Amino acid sequence: MENVTQIVQHVRQAHWRVQRQWIGLFLLGLVAVSMVAGIYLNITVRATLAGREIQLLQNQLIDDQRSNSDQETLLAGLTSVASMQQRAEAKGFKPVDPGTITYVVVPGYVPQTSVDMSQPEADNQGQSQAPVLLPAYTESLFDWITRTLVASASTGGQQ
Amino acid sequence: MRKFSYWRYLTVAITLGLIGASILVQIVRIQNSPEVAGVIGQGAYIWKTFYPARGEIYDRNGNLLAGNKTVYEIGVDLTALPNAKDASLKMENDIALAAQSALGMDPADALSRMTTAPAGAQYITLEDYVAPDQADQLMTLQKNDQANPSGPNLDAVHFTAHLMRSYPENDLASTIIGYVTRDNHGYMGVEEKYDNILAGIPVTKLVPADPRQAVDYPQIEPGQTLILTIDREIQASVEKILDDALVSTGAASGTIIVMDPKTGEILAMSSTPRMNLNDYTQVSQIFPGETPFNRAISEAYEPGSVAKIFTMASALDNGTIKPGTIFLDTGTIVVGGVPIHDWDNGAWGYQDMTGCLANSLNVCLAWVSTKMGNNAFYSYMQRFGLGQLTGIDLAGEVPGRQKLPGDGDWTPVDLGTNAFGQGVAITPIQMVMAASALANNGQMVYPHVLLAEVRDGHQSDMATHIVGNPISADTAHIITNMLHDSLLKESSTALLGGYSIAGKTGTAQIPTSTGYDPVNINASFIGWGPIDNPRFLVYVWLEKPQSNKAASVVAAPIFKQVIEKLVVLMGIPPDVAVAQTTGQ
Repeated sequence: MENVTQIVQHVRQAHWRVQRQWIGLFLLGLVAVSMVAGIYLNITVRATLAGREIQLLQNQLIDDQRSNSDQETLLAGLTSVASMQQRAEAKGFKPVDPGTITYVVVPGYVPQTSVDMSQPEADNQGQSQAPVLLPAYTESLFDWITRTLVASASTGGQQ
Repeated sequence: MRKFSYWRYLTVAITLGLIGASILVQIVRIQNSPEVAGVIGQGAYIWKTFYPARGEIYDRNGNLLAGNKTVYEIGVDLTALPNAKDASLKMENDIALAAQSALGMDPADALSRMTTAPAGAQYITLEDYVAPDQADQLMTLQKNDQANPSGPNLDAVHFTAHLMRSYPENDLASTIIGYVTRDNHGYMGVEEKYDNILAGIPVTKLVPADPRQAVDYPQIEPGQTLILTIDREIQASVEKILDDALVSTGAASGTIIVMDPKTGEILAMSSTPRMNLNDYTQVSQIFPGETPFNRAISEAYEPGSVAKIFTMASALDNGTIKPGTIFLDTGTIVVGGVPIHDWDNGAWGYQDMTGCLANSLNVCLAWVSTKMGNNAFYSYMQRFGLGQLTGIDLAGEVPGRQKLPGDGDWTPVDLGTNAFGQGVAITPIQMVMAASALANNGQMVYPHVLLAEVRDGHQSDMATHIVGNPISADTAHIITNMLHDSLLKESSTALLGGYSIAGKTGTAQIPTSTGYDPVNINASFIGWGPIDNPRFLVYVWLEKPQSNKAASVVAAPIFKQVIEKLVVLMGIPPDVAVAQTTGQ
């Protein structure tokens, strides 16, 4: 029994060594937490900056739409019937006499009877397929880890 | 050595641990601080109403008739006023004086709004719908004052830009378009009829102030864009012709409608008075009392002789008469015990049916309707839609009235008088719709002003809608030719050289509460052409012209002026040119 006690005492680590290990573990944990916090802060800051940019762009979009409306209305006023007539008269134009018009047949020509305001198909597709916002800008760190793991698992499964 | 290392490690661990712990404590403290919680609670989400831009209105060629422009709401952020009473009052005074200088506001009124704001109010509006140049003046004052700390302080003045309706053509087509008030509601015309789709749907939503939630901003769909059937060049020409006609004839009011008889598309529609839509506050002065906003759809009246075309078409279709049927006009016919006379109280002798139309003989047409009988005659009038709503897509249409046998106020003489447009109240748009059956192979088209809707970049065109076939195609051709011949026969002033036109004048007495007005008349003309391939149907109505009491003198020349413009603006070649190209 005495022999056994001597062996245990012999292999037990020194007191200062145990303490150093605990301190090391604590520092390791602290560094790990700091890293996670750093990544979290980094992602959060980027998401916030992106969100702020979205807000600014949305405001800009509203301003631009308003400006477009202003410009369109202004242009319509400048090219209104009254002002165009005034400009035509100022330049010496006169209303045409129906009897003086010469009509020419243009085979295959079909005059347009009304305006077509449809946007080209390509534009519509482009609009509908445009990404609104990447998930990386909105998801939390946990969401990101989950998504990455799920994506990795599904990619691995396919392989 | 070992002891030294131990203390060194322990010191580092404790220091780092304390730093980390203090950061964590600080994070937890900030997160749970009542002060921060208050800020987050107020600012994290804000109730905000998003008003979509009102849809634009274009004419058929893409010219803007109704758009939007920027205006400003100018208010005061009461929370930005200093807490000290004197300082607050000084700033309020500064703002009131600036509002007077830039906006022309009464400074006492501006000051009163700020000082009498309800307790707890954070914001008050000084003025809304401020023009950008006025708002710019105030913004400049604010900037200048910020650069000069000892000067007036306008920091609490807040500018909010938004859109308001604008009509670049002012009064052009105003009776068709209608107007929009400051509460974004459409009144009259297209603005009222299509208010729901033009206005879009305002969305009120809790909006996150947190930028990380910015994606939750609502996407507001703007109001739908509308394209009208109106051609602004034709509309402008028609309005000018009408305005000139009122001056030259001394008429109290007038109406002109131009429609494509094959599709029902209204190319122009004008009536008087009209208003500048940008100044809708004048509406009650311009349209006092019962004055209709758009006479073309909202004023029913006795049309008189123009209605004879429907009687004649019905009788031809019914087989009661043929174009060559001869009638002996003795100057009087008795219907229901009441004698009916011709417009000149004369006797016109033997007349074929074309002669009856050309000479506009009341006696002849009363004879035709009595030959048809009540059932057949009124059945046809119903099929033509007389006295009924056409359903045109404009707000404010009235039905008028066609009395029918069995109605309390119907008397047997009505069968005779209704045949030449007396004792019946119809609107100009009903007249145009009914006449489209004569011009369009018997097919009566639905009159409309909406050509297409545009949403999300896709244009949906409105289809032509046939509302009935009151007469056969053969009858339509026959009556058209009869009306063409009758115009030639009377050398009508409505005729335009080179173009085949069918038409009919209408000189109608005006009923009053004591009988017919002995002085004033309604003068009208309805016509279409070219008769082989009708491209236009035009109705002219002048109310109480003073220069002459005959429609052939006052209304027919107006019709000619309109079609003179139409053939140019619509590129309609003369009949000879068409015959050459088609080898006829």
